[in-house]
Amino acid sequence: MRHCGVSVVVLWALLLPEGVAAQERDSIPGVTLGLVYETTYTPALGIRPFTPSLGADQAAAQVEAIIARDLRYSDRFRMMDSIPEALVGEGVDYSLWDRLGAVWLLTGRIEAAGERFVLDLEVHDVVYGRMKDSGRFDLPNPREEGFRMAVHRVSDSVVEWVFDEPGMAASRIAFSMIPLGSATKEMYLVDSDGENLRRITNHGATVLSPTWSPDGSKLAFTSFKSGVARTWIQELELRSERMIEPLRTGDHITPVFSPDGETMSFAVTSGARSGIFSYNIERNCCLTHLSGGRWNDISPTYSADGDWLVFNSNRLGTANPQIYMMPGRGGEADVISPYSFDRPGYFTAPDWSPTDAVVAFHGAIRRGTYHILVARVEERGQRVRQLTWEGNNEDPSWAPDGRHLVFKGERRWGKGLFVVDVATGNTRVILPGVDVTVPEWSPALSGG
Amino acid sequence: MTAHRLSVAALVLVMTVAACRPEPPPPPPAPTGPTEEELAQMRADSIARARADSIAAAEAAAERARAEAERLAAEQRAMRMTLEQMVNFDYDESAIRPDAESVLREKVDILRANPSVSLAIEGHADERGSTEYNLALGSRRAESVRTFLTGFGLDEGRFATSSRGEEEPLVAESNEEAWAQNRRAQFTISGDEDLVSPR
Repeated sequence: MRHCGVSVVVLWALLLPEGVAAQERDSIPGVTLGLVYETTYTPALGIRPFTPSLGADQAAAQVEAIIARDLRYSDRFRMMDSIPEALVGEGVDYSLWDRLGAVWLLTGRIEAAGERFVLDLEVHDVVYGRMKDSGRFDLPNPREEGFRMAVHRVSDSVVEWVFDEPGMAASRIAFSMIPLGSATKEMYLVDSDGENLRRITNHGATVLSPTWSPDGSKLAFTSFKSGVARTWIQELELRSERMIEPLRTGDHITPVFSPDGETMSFAVTSGARSGIFSYNIERNCCLTHLSGGRWNDISPTYSADGDWLVFNSNRLGTANPQIYMMPGRGGEADVISPYSFDRPGYFTAPDWSPTDAVVAFHGAIRRGTYHILVARVEERGQRVRQLTWEGNNEDPSWAPDGRHLVFKGERRWGKGLFVVDVATGNTRVILPGVDVTVPEWSPALSGG
Repeated sequence: MTAHRLSVAALVLVMTVAACRPEPPPPPPAPTGPTEEELAQMRADSIARARADSIAAAEAAAERARAEAERLAAEQRAMRMTLEQMVNFDYDESAIRPDAESVLREKVDILRANPSVSLAIEGHADERGSTEYNLALGSRRAESVRTFLTGFGLDEGRFATSSRGEEEPLVAESNEEAWAQNRRAQFTISGDEDLVSPR
């Protein structure tokens, strides 16, 4: 294991572009900046071309292509791409697949059912020579809006069958961007695979900092439509919106849904009366002061159970923001970013993992360019893993699988919406050439 | 006309000197005054003079009023400009700089003379740093300006603060000069009644 880790480091050093390798690395006294990715085993997966019934050829090819890409994007499999003709057909010859190096095998059959399709899917454990799991999925016609999301849910089922862990294909990412010919940012959604980009607000004023309700039906965000920063909530299905009336004097910024789906936390910034508050948006009641003072506590994010709240604060000095953790109902806060007395650094934009006691954020010891960092909360900033090494990287947000992060990236070629797999370090750009702001990954979506 | 009168006087003088002689003087000729024509001319001249004088006086008054109105308008403009003049900040700082201090003190004088005037203070950040952090930074800047102003005894309720974060740059460029201008507090006067000058 240890030997493997070392070889990964060497590989990374070789892969780093010259400019980056030559750059002086930040180092934090007393803090281990992890270079080494977990040495995860990625088993090979073969997909046998799905068998279509009469009239389902086109749908079969589309479904298979979407599933293949989703499973590649899951970063959990090594995808086998060329499947010998001899292996297409009925029955599974495990010994043959084994000799080809497959560990897992996916087979499927698609039948037309009126306008819709039915997919019978099987996952085979090639090494043990048996079927691991199977399922039957009702899919809309590819012309229907819900088609791609329905197929993404199939991909997530495969991940669950094999690893007993959640996938992230059936999810979306919300972010702000300035529409062509406009001066201010509006809110957009894009599917986890970079498809289906669309704009969902028309405020004619800056819209920022999205947060998803735990069931994925609502998106809340900060909007300047009323002239000042206020929290707005949109019912995504209906596209209906409402503004939460200001509860105190000051800007209402950085909202976040609590895991109960009823309470929302947000920062109100107004001098010495600034702080993080929670408020029940269903019953319009129960404004609670969780933390504050003139430190500008902002950007709250809940642990999956709602017991803890992580946020950003200037309490160790302005211009040196750090990440803090406190009980979900408020209380004493501990710093969990790599703080060091003489080199306090700049760490902002925390997001708590949906599956683990891990927080992602971005920052740097020196000002200038930022990188995506992750830290286990119990390590209190003593050990941090850095996930990006190039350009500028900001505002990470966890996918529902607790393994991928979406972030705003900037490279020499331009800006874009990036995804990194925390386990392997694999990074890809799902929307190149766009200037995105504060992306937020949705929970697993059950609807269209 | 004056020359004519002088020559009459000279004639009288000559005659008086002649009277000192032993021979009795001849009776002086009847004095000759201005003719009827001359009198009419003199009247007409004085009326014209009076009219010209009053026109000049009226014109001067109008000019004075116009200049005063212009001065007042300029003063109003100057006071509004002073109230709305932006102040800038150092990178990632919300402390009031010395140059901003003098700008704000001029605002204080005007605000003291105009107790019904309020100001909306908008804090802005440059594009560097995190988006959400910069929203809070804009708030801190607006708040820092308000604290400075209320430090002179001005009522806190006269200042509404808000932040725009890094979302509305004044100069849409990525260089030191643009950033320096984009790190600012902007002011909007509420109401358009005339301001009273502090002097």
